[in-house]
Amino acid sequence: MESVKFLNESLWIGNLGNVMVVMALIAALTSGWFYFQSANKKTEEFRNLGRKIFYIQAFSVVSIFVLLFSIIFLHKYEYYYAWRHSSNSLPVYYMISCFWEGQEGSFLLWMFWNAVLGIIVAKTAGEWESPVMAIICLAQVALATMLIGLKLNDSGTHIGSNPFDLLRIQKPEILAGIPMASGKAMYLKMITDGNGLNPLLQNYWMVIHPPTLFLGFASTLVPFAYSVAGLWMRKDRQWVNHAMVWSLVGVGILGGGIIMGGFWAYESLTFGGYWAWDPVENASLMPWLIMASGAHMLLITRSTGRHLFAAHLLIQLSFWLVLYATFLTRSGILGETSVHSFTDLKLSGQLLLFLFLFLLISLLVVIAKQKARNIVIGAFFGWITLLIFMAFVFNPETQKSLDGFLHYTNIVLFFSLMGAILLLLYKRTVKEGEDEKWTSRELWMFVGSMFLILSLVQVFSATSIPVFNKVFSGNTAVPKADAYNRVQIWLAMPVMLLMGIGQWFRYRETPKKDLFRILLRNGIISLVLGAILVFAFEIKEFKYILFLFLGVVLVTGNIMYFGRQKNMPWLGYGASTAHTGFGILLIGVLVSSVNQNVLTGTREGIDMANEMDRNGQVNTAGIKFNRENRILYLGEPVVLNGYEAMYRGTKRGEGVDSISNYFNILFVKRDDNGGIKDSFTLWPKTQKNPNMGLINEPSTRHYIYKDVFTHVNHESSMDRDEPFAGFKNDTISRGEKFLSNSGKIMLRLDSVSKHRFKSYLVLKFSVTAKNLTDSATLHPLYLRDTISNQEESVTDQSDEIGVLLKMGGVFTDQKNGTFQTLVAERSPRKKYVVLKAIVFPWINLVWAGTIIMVLGFAMAVVYRLKQLRSMKSP
Amino acid sequence: MKPLHIVLLIIAGLGVAAVVSLYGNTTKYVSFPEADKMAVESPGKDFHVVCMLDKSKPMEYNAEKDANRLVFFAKDTLGNTKKVVYNHPKPQDMERSERVMLVGHSQGDYFQATEISMKCPSKYEDAPVK
Repeated sequence: MESVKFLNESLWIGNLGNVMVVMALIAALTSGWFYFQSANKKTEEFRNLGRKIFYIQAFSVVSIFVLLFSIIFLHKYEYYYAWRHSSNSLPVYYMISCFWEGQEGSFLLWMFWNAVLGIIVAKTAGEWESPVMAIICLAQVALATMLIGLKLNDSGTHIGSNPFDLLRIQKPEILAGIPMASGKAMYLKMITDGNGLNPLLQNYWMVIHPPTLFLGFASTLVPFAYSVAGLWMRKDRQWVNHAMVWSLVGVGILGGGIIMGGFWAYESLTFGGYWAWDPVENASLMPWLIMASGAHMLLITRSTGRHLFAAHLLIQLSFWLVLYATFLTRSGILGETSVHSFTDLKLSGQLLLFLFLFLLISLLVVIAKQKARNIVIGAFFGWITLLIFMAFVFNPETQKSLDGFLHYTNIVLFFSLMGAILLLLYKRTVKEGEDEKWTSRELWMFVGSMFLILSLVQVFSATSIPVFNKVFSGNTAVPKADAYNRVQIWLAMPVMLLMGIGQWFRYRETPKKDLFRILLRNGIISLVLGAILVFAFEIKEFKYILFLFLGVVLVTGNIMYFGRQKNMPWLGYGASTAHTGFGILLIGVLVSSVNQNVLTGTREGIDMANEMDRNGQVNTAGIKFNRENRILYLGEPVVLNGYEAMYRGTKRGEGVDSISNYFNILFVKRDDNGGIKDSFTLWPKTQKNPNMGLINEPSTRHYIYKDVFTHVNHESSMDRDEPFAGFKNDTISRGEKFLSNSGKIMLRLDSVSKHRFKSYLVLKFSVTAKNLTDSATLHPLYLRDTISNQEESVTDQSDEIGVLLKMGGVFTDQKNGTFQTLVAERSPRKKYVVLKAIVFPWINLVWAGTIIMVLGFAMAVVYRLKQLRSMKSP
Repeated sequence: MKPLHIVLLIIAGLGVAAVVSLYGNTTKYVSFPEADKMAVESPGKDFHVVCMLDKSKPMEYNAEKDANRLVFFAKDTLGNTKKVVYNHPKPQDMERSERVMLVGHSQGDYFQATEISMKCPSKYEDAPVK
């Protein structure tokens, strides 16, 4: 093949980017090595060197970040990443979202947060700096290899995926379509715009949700590193204080990030809700559940010295689960059995390897003898070398037959690693102590944490079904949301109860009389308040009533606790605040999902659900509809369940958004006398996106106590059009009436106005078209370029009348204003939308609860940090 | 017995119960003939069928006649074709989907779908170069 010198490419950005990726990898390796040496030999020089090199590492990561952003910002479509994920018309804040649409960008984001957290750890960890930073560096090495994009052989085996890959290399068909070498050199002239960002991601929550979530993911690394360091340095207790602060940071941020994602789904997706037990959602929930559980275990260990084993195990599990979640959502394994789409970068092997690598680290620190450690390390690296060797040596065919062998060695490896860790960790950390008392806080806190773990076990087993299918060649279908809800509601109840009353217990032992008295008071208040709320929220089923009652126990118990501890500053009530918020969130989840009211719902065969109460009011709360959409014709009001709705017209979006249609839907609520009690307009949207297909976006009216959520699922212009027929020519003058071919439509030329637009002379016509039932005004145009004398007609049509009109041709008689017309017709069609509208009662409790919860975590973090500082400086 | 041991025992029991209940309620991916058989054996249960749209037969959705009725034909992975009724509006871009997963049950001569999810080639993967 002849070599072509490609023009106009800014290759220096990518080259610099690649240098930075390599630098990030090497810096992470060296920094980690120095920190490792310093941890083992306790030398300060090595530690200082390690720290300096870590700063270089952080600098390289930030540089990659800036460079990748600049190829998007400057529309450098010679780079695949920019071409694939962005376009010219994107505003700057959505360019940020482009960044994490691709996997490479999200790995980079993760690395960025690790670097930031690493710097904070280096500054605050004190004596723990070296071992903790060594682990953080190892994570940075792993992530950097995800970006390196090294091809191992011709069959496509590669290490990492490089964000600076060129478009012409990723998509050689672009060049193949150009015949001449000189043309090939100029290929960039043809690539004027990128593919664009998925419109569903063009939402402000998508700008801040992924960074928050990834910060949450990244923050599981630090407690993990402390746990490993604690075992490695053989200091059982001191790591706990640090790990606790970091795990609280993690739970708070991850929790906030998860709910932000829910809010995004609620605002831009049309499944009608904020949580669907989607594997991607579950993947972020799992680490959260276990971190929340682990944070409480650390609290127990810190206060009583108990449960060191569980504390280590849960904290380490939360990081393993983050790795597992990454594997689950990014390896394409869910794509095998679920229809959820994920871009598969063929990195599953590498992701699996990282999971194994960190399991190995967890194992090494619990092995007591150096000799045994060396054997394990030797075996592990021997195995990796073998894998890489095989990728080089064997052709794809041989590799395929080796897959089965690798499959089983992976399973054996995984279970033996897990088994060994559990066994050795147990031996290292469990000491016989005195028995816990039934009235001790630590016992009930432990029980509550275990229920969180039960919740995790269920989510894990259900979400991992595609993995089990693959590992054990199964054929089990992925469970639906109902399978989760049915179990999770019962698992949540004991957690709520314990969160509500746990603070009345003291560590080790509580005087029974005091305990009994306060529990009684808490119970009575909750009963009264709960009974009121059951009626106010109209909860009917027993299990929901129980759930609501326990939610009230949780909220009141924690509110009652405020101010009860003498000498405790207000910051110390972080736990109570977070628990209160969590309770409000759960009550919101219950009420908004149990009492959803589908306004557009009907039952089969019946136009309207006609369940009336004694006052003749339609009450549809809680009724299961089997038909959830209603058709709304333009201008015709329709009575829904509790509202009246009317489709009043369509508006085009502006500028970039001109491919969107916004539908004006008027909602009216009437009082008993038929007077208008409330009315508002919603603008649900559909978009015919050239790259992504049809997309619909909901529109919501927010009240304090409810949301009215609506979206358009179909509309008349989506129907296939009948072609126009019966073309008829006429010559008409102003004010004259004329008929269509069939005689069914009468038209009248009302007026003509003359305009000038640049070099064009424009005639704008106003024509009334009438059939038996309707009438419409059409505005066809006639244009003549006064320079070239070229003529052009712009037609106009009305679907309601079924008429197409073209005006122009020649001005036959300027003086009398006579014009040529062309009329065509088809059967009239009414404009309509197919609408779904749902009322979510009290959904604001979900968001309010989240805010209070995150606030509580922030208070707890600050409080514990202060404690930590005062312990250091006696 | 120590309080801790009692608690651990109860929780382990509940954990086993949760997992058993989960797997007891899962179903397999089935073909259309299997779904027909299941509809008789265990009525009221929904099954998953992985299939493709049969584009040789017409897809019917007329919002003005019934906004909540979509009728189409689907071919399962073994090549069996069956009529499918779905009581919702037509999902966006149904025609472009390369694979459809149906959740539902056989009912008479058709498959009553309660949930449809589609894998579209366009949404996340590369669109052809313009």
